[in-house]
Amino acid sequence: MEPILLRARGTKDSRSIAAYRAAGGYRALAKALKMEPAAVIAEVKASGLRGRGGAGFPTGLKWGFVPKDSPKPKYLICNADESEPGTFKDREIIHVDPHMLIEGIAISSYAIGANVAYIYIRGEFHAEALMLEAAIAEAAAAGFLGDNILGSRFHLAVHVHRGAGAYICGEETALIESLEGKRGLPRLKPPFPAVVGLFGCPTVVNNVETLACVPHIIERGGAWYAAIGTERSTGPKLFSVSGHVNRPGVYEVEMGVPFREIIDGLCGGVLGGRALKAFIPGGSSCPVLPADKIDIGCDFESVAAAGSMLGSGGLIVMDETVDMVWALENLLTFYAHESCGQCTPCREGSDWALDVVRRIRRGFGRPQDLETLERIARFASQGMTICPLGDAFCEPIRSFLKHFGHEFEAAIAAAQPLPAAKTPVLPLRSGHGWYGS
Amino acid sequence: MLKLTIDGTEVQVAPGTNLVEAAAAIGIDIPTYCYHPGLSVVGQCRICFVEVEGMPRLVTACSTEARDGMVVLTASPRVKDARAAVMEFLLENHPLDCPVCDQAGECLLQDYSVEHGLDTTHMVDIRRTFPGLERRLIGPHVVQNQNRCIHCTRCVRFTQEISETHDLTMKSRGNHSYIDTFDGGPFDNPWSACAADVCPVGALTVKEFRFRARVWHLEDTESICPGCSIGCNVKVGHLDREVHRFLPRHNAEVNGWWMCDYGRCLAQGIEERDVARTAVRSGGELRPIAWSEAVPKLVELLRSRPAARVVASANLSNEALYLVKKGLVRHLGLEVVVPMDRGRPRRIKNGHGQWIDSIDAHPNSGGARLLGLDLVDGAGLARFVGGANGQLLVLDERAHPWLASDEAAATLAARTVAVFARCETVLTRSASLLLPAASWVETEGTYTSSTGRVQLTRAAFTPGAQAWPAWRLLHGLQAALGIPSDPDARPERLFAELAATVPAFTGMTYRGLADQPGLPVAAEVSDVG
Repeated sequence: MEPILLRARGTKDSRSIAAYRAAGGYRALAKALKMEPAAVIAEVKASGLRGRGGAGFPTGLKWGFVPKDSPKPKYLICNADESEPGTFKDREIIHVDPHMLIEGIAISSYAIGANVAYIYIRGEFHAEALMLEAAIAEAAAAGFLGDNILGSRFHLAVHVHRGAGAYICGEETALIESLEGKRGLPRLKPPFPAVVGLFGCPTVVNNVETLACVPHIIERGGAWYAAIGTERSTGPKLFSVSGHVNRPGVYEVEMGVPFREIIDGLCGGVLGGRALKAFIPGGSSCPVLPADKIDIGCDFESVAAAGSMLGSGGLIVMDETVDMVWALENLLTFYAHESCGQCTPCREGSDWALDVVRRIRRGFGRPQDLETLERIARFASQGMTICPLGDAFCEPIRSFLKHFGHEFEAAIAAAQPLPAAKTPVLPLRSGHGWYGS
Repeated sequence: MLKLTIDGTEVQVAPGTNLVEAAAAIGIDIPTYCYHPGLSVVGQCRICFVEVEGMPRLVTACSTEARDGMVVLTASPRVKDARAAVMEFLLENHPLDCPVCDQAGECLLQDYSVEHGLDTTHMVDIRRTFPGLERRLIGPHVVQNQNRCIHCTRCVRFTQEISETHDLTMKSRGNHSYIDTFDGGPFDNPWSACAADVCPVGALTVKEFRFRARVWHLEDTESICPGCSIGCNVKVGHLDREVHRFLPRHNAEVNGWWMCDYGRCLAQGIEERDVARTAVRSGGELRPIAWSEAVPKLVELLRSRPAARVVASANLSNEALYLVKKGLVRHLGLEVVVPMDRGRPRRIKNGHGQWIDSIDAHPNSGGARLLGLDLVDGAGLARFVGGANGQLLVLDERAHPWLASDEAAATLAARTVAVFARCETVLTRSASLLLPAASWVETEGTYTSSTGRVQLTRAAFTPGAQAWPAWRLLHGLQAALGIPSDPDARPERLFAELAATVPAFTGMTYRGLADQPGLPVAAEVSDVG
């Protein structure tokens, strides 16, 4: 497959508007502005584009939820709060081709009727925020943003807002709260952001990669895009590969190619020629898969059928030397640290699970611990919490125990007994105090 | 109205009612921590899970509005499992220090553990603690123990939505988040102790009440706050003739679920007594006498020439003021004033989110006005007392701050004064006739608030020592003065007489006041602002 999203990678000055226009950039915006907004949405629906942030929700459908007759302003938010461990694809798009994202934002804003768009970018992406600001200034100077864009009477302002370092602000309603200047806590749903979002107005939140696909869909047609990939998982997909591979990095592949092609082909195989033990296909919150699933296709349906999620495409590769108890402890450390603390099951459960796994890893596990972990995973996920962070730490627990339970059992079998609790002995005093004289 | 079925029972509720309230309407108690009827819904404690037919996942009852035809299960096995799990999560890091926790007995964690929790826990690891935040006075009235906190954020929402002071906030994140004041300064808004009221556990407690009594020993009496003219509904918590606390009592029209710290602290010492006995001063010395001697002496004073003057009080009940009007003003034709002090401005938010303001430090100046008594300010009171040629009767030693001033002491020293009092003041030190008055919590009666509502207070216990409530003294005087009066005088019967004679109270009954949280006075005379 020809590179689409990363077509400019490795070319000179790829971030500049001149290079982007030389490669045909902003033609799609001109084309879209001559179409009816509904036709733009229809094209995106026809492309079968699904959200690249993790949930895989159809983008055209999401845009369709925005009420047409609302008297309130509408907003588009580009979610660039890429904070899932193992995921770094959005950063690559911003590094290589920020104008592709800005063109996507402009077209999408036109489609949903938004005149203000925000790019909520993770606080650690300082350089990337500057790149985006420079690109926005260039685009505005060239008349692709601002008032009366290309003589269409459509106007759009794009603002970059930097987050302050919370993973949870990648969840769309927490992101909106944070953007409003509040604590980044996920909101109760319904109402969904498409109806009540930023400042109480209809809002669409889309991932960077999703929006970067939009100019290509408009320029070359939904049907062209839908022909790439599988029937229900269309288009190219960026995978950010990390862990024990020879060439970690961001790779653009057609949806549906087997993971073996990514790991053994593009990434040059497992580091040091060692055997693969496991991989997490879509970022650290997705269930881990054992090595024998390497031949499944990298599309939403195949990964779901194998018992995991495609997520954001953060492929984490673990070779045979990895201690899975340690790996789970590592993941849980992150989620316990990033739980916002709102819902009881996630706040208490994430920390508790970490305590248990850490204790097993340190050699003080008990046979009952696995039951405890399963109980935590059962009651902190699947609707027990407001947002999916509960699932994000429970799915790893469940899948690690399912596929690598024997490693946990071995660690527990080799464990020392828990040190006996030191019961404080109250001194019996005579003459005063409770014990009388 | 919507019709839905909860646990097999059909219930009709208004649109917009959530499932917690809908279930409560038919007596089904859905456990809640973060939900409070006076605060916004956040749905974060997750204890109120219920099963709704047709929904794949459990839903939180607090954040789910009732819909027509909904079928709700509040005690299915799935719901019970989920609740037990949430209880286990909540108790996982809770110190379980109930024996030394002052919230014990009115703690939702205790109640719901028994009702919905597991008998045991899977937890064997070290509990989370918050060193330094375990016994911390965060403001003049509130003590924090963060170890006990269940992160329901009721207190935070109280300061955001009710007091509008935004002083409390959740700091840090996740399992290590804790409650603190936003700027790190003291938590001292005028309603700060309400944050401890809404705290469902022992994380925030009220300094003044801590460790004074176990709550299950306390007896609660419905009363009104005497602090200002708003008349917040309170519960008096008392034990063995000692008042331990005031708690706000819900009344949507007056104080919602709230009360101010000033009013709450009036509970301290409200039943204490300096004036224990009826006494007469002869030769500078007080000589104890019996009531049977005191009443004729008082009659003698009231009938003396030149005519005596009477200082009544806007702290007295409607019934007592009615007897003042009937016996002293109408029958004896005496000059009577009701002094009124503006005090400090007070405000409270009612159950509809509206502020009610008061610039009147008395609970019943509204009643005095409706009864047609003369209200005077401090200067007017000084003129009234200074201009008296004859003897004086003061019906309340704390009717006005002027009565405790040096000027008052100098003015009154030269006069023969009878004082009906509980506390020792300059007035009682020079009084020639001293009559012990019942305290606020020993007096039953009705009071008219500045919002024009007549509200009932119950007596927490009978008056101590020889004290009489004001209505009893004034009723005794009627008989001694030969005015025809009801031989069986009780506040209830006096109120009936008042309701029959004074137009503003027409149609009100004592029973009605007992059943409802106050009745508005008749519209055409309700200009009591």
